Amino acid sequence: MPKTYDAIIVGGGHNGLVCAAYLAKAGKKVLVLEKQHVLGGAASTDEPFPGFKFSLYSYVVSLFRPHIIRELDLPSHGLEIIPLECSFLPLPDGDSLCRWADPNLTRREIARFSQKDAEVYPEFGMAMMKMAYFVKRIIDAPAPDPLSNSPAELINLLRLGRYLSSFGPDVMYQQFKMLTMSAVDFLDEWFESDILKAPMSVSGIIGTFLGVRSPGTAYVLLHHYMGEIDGAFRAWGFAKGGTGGVSLACGSAARAFGAEIRTKAKVEKFIIKNGSCDGVVLENGEEIHAQSVFSCLDPHRTFFKMAGEEHFDDDFIRQLKRYKLRGSSGKVNLAVDRFPDFSCRPGDGAHVRGDIAIAPSIDYLERAYDEAKYGDFSRRPYINVVIPSLVDPSVAPPGKHVVSCFVQYAPYDIKEGPEHWPERKEAFGDAVVDTLAEYCPTLKDSILYRQIHTPWDMERDIGLTEGNIFQGELSLEQLLFLRPAVGWSRYRTPLKNLWVCGSAAHPGGGLMGSPGELAAKTYLGSLKGPQ
Amino acid sequence: MTNGRSSKKYDVIVIGAGHNGLTTAAFLAGRGRKVIVLEQRDVLGGLACSEEFHPGYRSPGVLHDTSSVRHGLIKSLNLASHGLSLDPEPPAIHAPVKDGNGLSLHHDAQKAAREIAKHSEHDAERYSEYRAFVDRVRGFVNGVFDESPPGLGTIDARTFWPVMKKGLGFRRLGKHDAVELFRIIPMSLADWLDEWFETDRLKTLLAAPAIRGAFVGPRSPGSAINLLLWECRKGPSVKGGPGALVTALEAAAGGAGAKIRTSARVKEIGISEGKVTGVTLDDGETIDGAVVAASVDPKTIFLKLLPVAAITEKFAQRIANYRAKGTTAKVDIALRQKIEVGGNAGSSVEYVRTGENLTQVEKAFDAVKYRLCSSTPVLDVCIPSASNRDFAPDGGSSLSVLVQYAPYDLEDGWGDRQRELLGQRVVETLADNIPGVKESVVGLRVLTPADLESHYGTSGGHPYHGDHAVDQLFVRPSPECARHTTPIGGLFLCGSGSFPGGGITCAPGALGARAILKHS
Repeated sequence: MPKTYDAIIVGGGHNGLVCAAYLAKAGKKVLVLEKQHVLGGAASTDEPFPGFKFSLYSYVVSLFRPHIIRELDLPSHGLEIIPLECSFLPLPDGDSLCRWADPNLTRREIARFSQKDAEVYPEFGMAMMKMAYFVKRIIDAPAPDPLSNSPAELINLLRLGRYLSSFGPDVMYQQFKMLTMSAVDFLDEWFESDILKAPMSVSGIIGTFLGVRSPGTAYVLLHHYMGEIDGAFRAWGFAKGGTGGVSLACGSAARAFGAEIRTKAKVEKFIIKNGSCDGVVLENGEEIHAQSVFSCLDPHRTFFKMAGEEHFDDDFIRQLKRYKLRGSSGKVNLAVDRFPDFSCRPGDGAHVRGDIAIAPSIDYLERAYDEAKYGDFSRRPYINVVIPSLVDPSVAPPGKHVVSCFVQYAPYDIKEGPEHWPERKEAFGDAVVDTLAEYCPTLKDSILYRQIHTPWDMERDIGLTEGNIFQGELSLEQLLFLRPAVGWSRYRTPLKNLWVCGSAAHPGGGLMGSPGELAAKTYLGSLKGPQ
Repeated sequence: MTNGRSSKKYDVIVIGAGHNGLTTAAFLAGRGRKVIVLEQRDVLGGLACSEEFHPGYRSPGVLHDTSSVRHGLIKSLNLASHGLSLDPEPPAIHAPVKDGNGLSLHHDAQKAAREIAKHSEHDAERYSEYRAFVDRVRGFVNGVFDESPPGLGTIDARTFWPVMKKGLGFRRLGKHDAVELFRIIPMSLADWLDEWFETDRLKTLLAAPAIRGAFVGPRSPGSAINLLLWECRKGPSVKGGPGALVTALEAAAGGAGAKIRTSARVKEIGISEGKVTGVTLDDGETIDGAVVAASVDPKTIFLKLLPVAAITEKFAQRIANYRAKGTTAKVDIALRQKIEVGGNAGSSVEYVRTGENLTQVEKAFDAVKYRLCSSTPVLDVCIPSASNRDFAPDGGSSLSVLVQYAPYDLEDGWGDRQRELLGQRVVETLADNIPGVKESVVGLRVLTPADLESHYGTSGGHPYHGDHAVDQLFVRPSPECARHTTPIGGLFLCGSGSFPGGGITCAPGALGARAILKHS
């Protein structure tokens, strides 16, 4: 049978597009199929209301790997990242805390709450950065497999061990603790002020179904210190034109290398013949054949819906069935007719040109989690707000603004059953607006349009099973060589010619691009060497 | 030690005569060391001390379960010759349910499966597989926890081989079990138990021992490993309970020549040029010794008993950061009558665990996060009088109840009223599960975590001298003293705050003794 393409990539999210770009760059004939009318999946920008461009789901850029930006020359394809200027925490008593890019300003701010914490804060940053270097080596390469018997793998492991131990016992100990401790326990070791710890601890829970006091959340704090933009370590930013700007730049790079990209092309099923994945069937019945198929969908979609359980052995299926997705977050996007003024710090100064956290105390965050544990959305949720229109006027009409609210917790599995989310959706949106309005009294009257994404919507609209933004919990038992299943963390699957390249592969979710890059490189490597 | 100037000079001074301190003393005295044990209370045993809490009624100890005691140690100390005997197998544990017969979990896997089958065929089959899994990994897991851990970042020729051997042992488990072990470490009890079973009552019964050691609920990641450790260690328990174990250890230590003193509270550990010189007691008496083995908790040792200048600020910070806030209260109840559990009149049920489902247990945990007591606590009950007449007068029963969850730092502070309220809640929860209890109460002793601290001297009132969280299990209590040695020459750890942790295992005591023999 003639093969039309070398590779078909199912899903035009940022990982699929990165994968496509790398394959096309190596001279492969590549086709990307995206079911939505815009590229980007969870990292997309759309204009649902005239003049207002929303970063629909993902809203800031921090983890995108800088070498991918270089290797694919993304700036020349329109990628521009504007750094966030501040992390702003409004407080219910009218006070607030700003952590600025300038360390001196930050120290003065923190000192208002604790002199000791102000002194320790830069030290903490240094320690975290050291540890981020430690993990980078693991993130930028396929996962080491301690269960493999191949001598090359053992040597690789020993090398990694030697590299890690070269950091010395103190860093190793910290690292070990970070992997298993809760974000709050870890921060308790450094700081005393709740007002500093609460907004810092939230980076440990984003996208997970855990609370800030749950063990295992400290590790994710590191991710905050791993972001690199233009080589500046630890920088966060907005992508110009919304987060979809990242995906569009990847798509443009892929096209420039010769890849073909089709939107509104929904894949219905993989074509499997004689134990090999030969191509895909689209919703409209069109069959497209290829040498290999790359799926950047989550494992449930890839293996159960697109391929079919019958093609895999029991052990593999058992592992996928226990793979935890459990979406826990929602997104509320608001189009407003005036600047949303925070009563504790009025004006549209630099403090709002960054991320704004509604996270007034650790107990507040923990109570938000408790509600979710028993199957309800948080009445008073953690909200991470950004107002991208302040720094990028292209996303809203003059004088008007876009307010993007990332909200936790909104569990997929509400007690009424996930299928009842549509009835609860508006109440969820109200809870978010009400909570935010406590800090921002003019907000309610200024809302022109409101867009609410619950985990149920994310599953239906962009195909994330259970609405998990990382395509699977980032808990240790689902990371590294265990992601998504033991023995299958290297982008191959048990089905011949089927590969995975999405967030459900090592090193996992977040706007990183690594799974797409590593999948492409692993595949290209397998063509060269004997396997 | 030939230049001893007084009879008060010892080779080893052991601080604390709990089961671990006595174990250390017995081992070292048995190897010819001149040992003295100093206990601050007027009785021996610490948290394993059996005491009369109401006229005629005795508790088995604050901790009541002896099924984890390491049997190799019992043999090597020849405790049998000092009067210790074991029950042939671990006792059955009963989980009562309202309006039903409940679930009795026998230690024998087949008997247990038959009992479980009355509730769920699926779970009966899975339980057999679960026990088979535990049987397969037991040797490896106990091997890891019965020896001192390797130091972090100090892989040299001497430590390399033991690590390599463990690594090979891990691989020998086979891929399936090795992956399973790796996976369990970060998992939550709820996730792990949900993978195995569907019966709520079975899951809460199994989860009970694993939530006691740390600030966790069943849904907290990192809690599953505590269950696996408990399952792997479980074996026959000591006849007569913790008190009988303490008596045998006392006899073994004393028989080997160790001197044991009660009402001798150590005020300070003497240091000169970074080395231990001895200890000073409350009354000013000084006892000289080149080695001090401390079985009290790490915060007490390093932050209270040592002069501030003796340790570096960094190390002091690490010990201060060591998490040891207890969440367990202890209630001893004297009952006028024999009690009847699950309609099993006449049968002697010795262990009962409450808790209908893991969500209820999780809700009980939520309270303690906000420094409150659970309104519906989860109880782990031992009824020592069921099989042993020493614990209660004829016709009566003595109940030893470990209560989850009660915070160390209660929001309003612990006073008589709060203590009383806790006692009432426990009796009411018990009465829901065992009819007739409420009417039969003649005496009650409530020990809150704050009481455990003031009575037994354990910081934070933690019954295990510190959380059994993953990081504190493998590196306990800090990298400087994870292998029972400390930065101070001659000072060693031998209590529950050192590897491999709390509970009545006697393992820290034995490993502490081994470290002393090796280094001094």
